[in-house]
Amino acid sequence: MLPRTLYIRPSDLTKALEALEEHGPGARVIAGGTDLIPSMRARTQLPSCLVDIQGLGLDTITRTDGFVRIGAACTFSELARSGIIREMFPVLREAASAIGAVQTRNLATIGGNLSSAVPSCDSAPALYVLKARLTLISLRQQRAIPVEEFFQGPRRTVLAPAEILAWIDVPVPPDRSGSAFLKIGRRKALTLAIVNAAASVCLAKDGSTVEDATISLGAVAPTPLRARKAEALLKGCTWSEELVKEAAWVASGETSPISDIRASADYRRELCKVLVRRALTHAWKRALGGDQR
Amino acid sequence: MKRAIILVVNGTEHSVEVQPSDLLVDVLRDRLRLTGTKKGCGTGECGACTVLLDGKPVNSCLLLAIRCEGRQITTIEGLGTPDSLHVLQKAFIDNGAVQCGFCAPGMLLSAKALLDENPAPSEMDIRQALAGNICRCTGYVKIVKAVSSAARTMSGAEGGGR
Repeated sequence: MLPRTLYIRPSDLTKALEALEEHGPGARVIAGGTDLIPSMRARTQLPSCLVDIQGLGLDTITRTDGFVRIGAACTFSELARSGIIREMFPVLREAASAIGAVQTRNLATIGGNLSSAVPSCDSAPALYVLKARLTLISLRQQRAIPVEEFFQGPRRTVLAPAEILAWIDVPVPPDRSGSAFLKIGRRKALTLAIVNAAASVCLAKDGSTVEDATISLGAVAPTPLRARKAEALLKGCTWSEELVKEAAWVASGETSPISDIRASADYRRELCKVLVRRALTHAWKRALGGDQR
Repeated sequence: MKRAIILVVNGTEHSVEVQPSDLLVDVLRDRLRLTGTKKGCGTGECGACTVLLDGKPVNSCLLLAIRCEGRQITTIEGLGTPDSLHVLQKAFIDNGAVQCGFCAPGMLLSAKALLDENPAPSEMDIRQALAGNICRCTGYVKIVKAVSSAARTMSGAEGGGR
């Protein structure tokens, strides 16, 4: 049995925002509910009112000039299936497919995954390396922020009360670029990441100089992080296995993992080296055009 | 604050009064007496409560019943009857894929959703489709075999599988 609560199904986004405003800090947005319902069951979240944001038009994936707009209420199944995502952001398709199991992905949304803000959040590293921007909407204002500025700590985000994460804008990647996502958990499905990693590589016209590289790691710090020292090391250099190995070492040093029931901090640091090396290599292959999928 | 809603389960409309906090699994089992859907972990990790929502597998322990109005819900009771088993049910029996049986309703519905979408799945496709359904008895080998044999039967028999 869940604790009793009010339930509101608004007919549009404005009405949803009004409902959140009216019911105050006890009101919570419900999208997929795969995180919220178990939290209510465990009494770690006791919302006085649930405001349903399904069916408000926040579940579309649309291509616009220069970027793709992903509605926050898109499920991971929809993302994994989308032709646009598959073609343009394989890294995001990989992250979407790594979450939960079929049943979870049919309900869980990308906006919910971000808003829950657990450090092992699988969608964040993919969105970090894609340099996505999030649009947050309340009755008073609409603001767009880089995804990296969204998280404040475990289960803490910059979302103000009565503010909704509405959509995610992902810029179209430049030519000669590629990205990839990898996750290690205790098993292959229905598990939180021990470490997850995403990387993107953009090559110069010569096909061997790294013009730009981004590396993101999850479950190794209070929030998902960018390994900026490792990125700086790669930039402007000629691609080589040695270089990538060194970058992976540096990236691992930028983390601050904890030991918990899933793994020790030492193991996580080791995993970072392996996953960053693999993710960079995979991204590089895609940048070369050898492997689009 | 109870609300009267209409749930469409296995093609039949049921009028029920629910609290917003009532979970679909509880409404199915306790109110509609459709106890084929099992409640295991209650946190969306074991898959015993799997039902199909508009043809897609979901955990009914994570779904508020009130959010399912106007959607098509399929439970194990809608798959076959003792006199006329679904091809998948027959295959589970023939291949010894059922031991204690607690996971079977969820397994069967996940398998049905897979075959509806992909009539000729590989072993990896089957394992991925069933990754959200935990079985503590069989070791999965016979379940995977049963799904694969049902797929063959269904593609062989024209329009088979109901």
